[in-house]
Amino acid sequence: MLWYKSWMETRWRFLIGLAMLTCSACVVVFLYPQMAKLIPLASTLEAKGVLGREIREAGELARDYRGYVWGQWYRQNLPQLGTLFAALLGTGGLLSESSGRGMLFTLSLPASRKRLLGFRAAVGLAEFLVLAFVPSLFIPLLSPAVGETYGLGNVLIHSACQSIAGAVFFSLAFLLSTMFHDLWRPLLITLSLAAALALFEQVFRILSPYNIFRVMSAEVYFRTGQLPWLGLLTCAVASAAMLYGATISIARHDF
Amino acid sequence: MLFRPNPSSGVPIYLQLMEHVKHGIETGALRAGEQLPGIRPLAEELVINPNTVAKAYRELEHEGVIELRHGAGAFVSANAQAKKQTDKLRAGQTIVAAAVERLHERGITGEEMRRLFEAELGRLSRTGGHGD
Amino acid sequence: MIDRFIIETDKLRKDYGGVEALRGLNLQVPAGSICGFLGRNGAGKTTAIKVLLGMARPTSGQARVFGLAADRPEASVEIRRRTGFVSDDKDLYDYMTVEGMIRFTAAFFPRWRADLEERYRRQFPLPADRKVKALSHGMRTKLALLLALCRGAELLVLDEPTSGLDPAMTEQVLQALVAHVASEEMTVFFSSHQIAEVDQIADHVAIIDRGRTLVAGALDDLRENFRRIQLVFDGEAPQPRFQAPGVERVRREGRVLTVLSSAGVDPILKEARELNPVSVDVVPVTLREIFLESVRVED
Repeated sequence: MLWYKSWMETRWRFLIGLAMLTCSACVVVFLYPQMAKLIPLASTLEAKGVLGREIREAGELARDYRGYVWGQWYRQNLPQLGTLFAALLGTGGLLSESSGRGMLFTLSLPASRKRLLGFRAAVGLAEFLVLAFVPSLFIPLLSPAVGETYGLGNVLIHSACQSIAGAVFFSLAFLLSTMFHDLWRPLLITLSLAAALALFEQVFRILSPYNIFRVMSAEVYFRTGQLPWLGLLTCAVASAAMLYGATISIARHDF
Repeated sequence: MLFRPNPSSGVPIYLQLMEHVKHGIETGALRAGEQLPGIRPLAEELVINPNTVAKAYRELEHEGVIELRHGAGAFVSANAQAKKQTDKLRAGQTIVAAAVERLHERGITGEEMRRLFEAELGRLSRTGGHGD
Repeated sequence: MIDRFIIETDKLRKDYGGVEALRGLNLQVPAGSICGFLGRNGAGKTTAIKVLLGMARPTSGQARVFGLAADRPEASVEIRRRTGFVSDDKDLYDYMTVEGMIRFTAAFFPRWRADLEERYRRQFPLPADRKVKALSHGMRTKLALLLALCRGAELLVLDEPTSGLDPAMTEQVLQALVAHVASEEMTVFFSSHQIAEVDQIADHVAIIDRGRTLVAGALDDLRENFRRIQLVFDGEAPQPRFQAPGVERVRREGRVLTVLSSAGVDPILKEARELNPVSVDVVPVTLREIFLESVRVED
């Protein structure tokens, strides 16, 4: 029944995330015809600096549908919203249950802390997985409505990379939740770190290949068809390490 | 069973219960051979520890006031009335012993004590106390 | 394996970052007893309970439940499988319904007693589809109690079970506890501020203050052994040093000397008479007085 408890405690975050991401995916598809009209204008823009570079890049990408989807969805919308909800889903748990949420009751059940934590992690990750895949499936589903097609294979690869890389932020929030009693500190720290990394990726292009957001958007796959194996492995190991750290942290905690 | 245990009186509850049973026998509310309530229902009704009821019943059986028949329950013993009499006298003897001790502490001699007792008994019979 | 003591602690210490909550606590709760755990606020009652149930780890010393070490994680899970617990704020999951909480809890206990569940659902009427957050304190207490009683547990650990309840509901809860103990093989360990209810249903008692046990034992033994001896003197009362054992406290007020004894009166009376008092009075002592006197000595 622990899965039920974890579900009840995270369902609103999950459902809101699902709704927002699905809407966003649909908007990306339906906005394409308008974007297609604006493409010729993009390359004539004289804007300078980072912003100018951004706009010209967007213009370049939008020349074909696949590029457009990658630029708008897999590089921008999904990582942004996905990371936000990864952190939201990872936050919470036993320590923040102190007021009115039955913390001592949970601890009095014949379940080891590892098991309690394990269920919460499993449910959270499963929810995150759904957020990474399901809204993305609307793209191949709805693309014919704007006269385009999008391969299912792309969805699977990109969403998988999104899941594995995004899981790092989930695990961080999860670990921090076993160290702080309140909800906002784990969330704030995780999102601040994410924002810093995202900014880094935009501004310092030289170090970017190793940036987590590159792995998340699977840029190398988009451009060359090669999967970012090293990046994915690093993310997986980092997530596992942080989740393991969470079990140690909670095992030592005195309530 | 009209009995309200007083937990805060300093007298153990099992003793209070024993007293109550004996008093019931004395006043005729409980007759020889009559069945007493079971340990569990009595504990529930009085909201006291079942071990306390069990202890009271055991002590009453030890004193011969009741009989515990295996499987059937607790019953007032046939000679409870007679037992009550010897108990009454025994209790009286304890009171007298204590009184004599206290009077002795104050330095009152045996002769003086006897005179005090007789004077008191005389007053009792004149004012119509529990006559014999 | 039948243990003599269901709960046993030996020189148990617990420090919470500089604050010593338990300072060498010794407890022994016999199997089948109803043991009342008395103490002032902050004496360490809740901490002791948390250590016994594996919610906090001892700094030093031993704590055993069912003979199992409470500080070992696997043993602790086994302890909790056989124990029913009600915390002092009766905290449950706000968002679950009564029915939901019962089904959720039952899933953890293969020995869940459906017969007891039916009995208590009738006895404490609890609306099946009301959410926990909409329940009054009294109903939450009853629900928490139901969840603890139906597990098929051998031990009940209750932290202030009747706190915040009106007298009628308190009586209901005590009645349910007594009835449950009468029909099941059970030990109850409950902490309380209400001396009257400990007096009423407990047969063993442990009084703790500042993280240590002050007085412990069978309640009837305490009632028989604790006595107050009042000695009145002609002039100023003397300041004797009693050799006899069991002298807990000696108070001098003008011509009156009051001695609190925990081991009967005869040896003390012998010594007392040598002081030539004008009068000697021996009175029984209530649990409330034992408690107040014991914690006062600590001050």
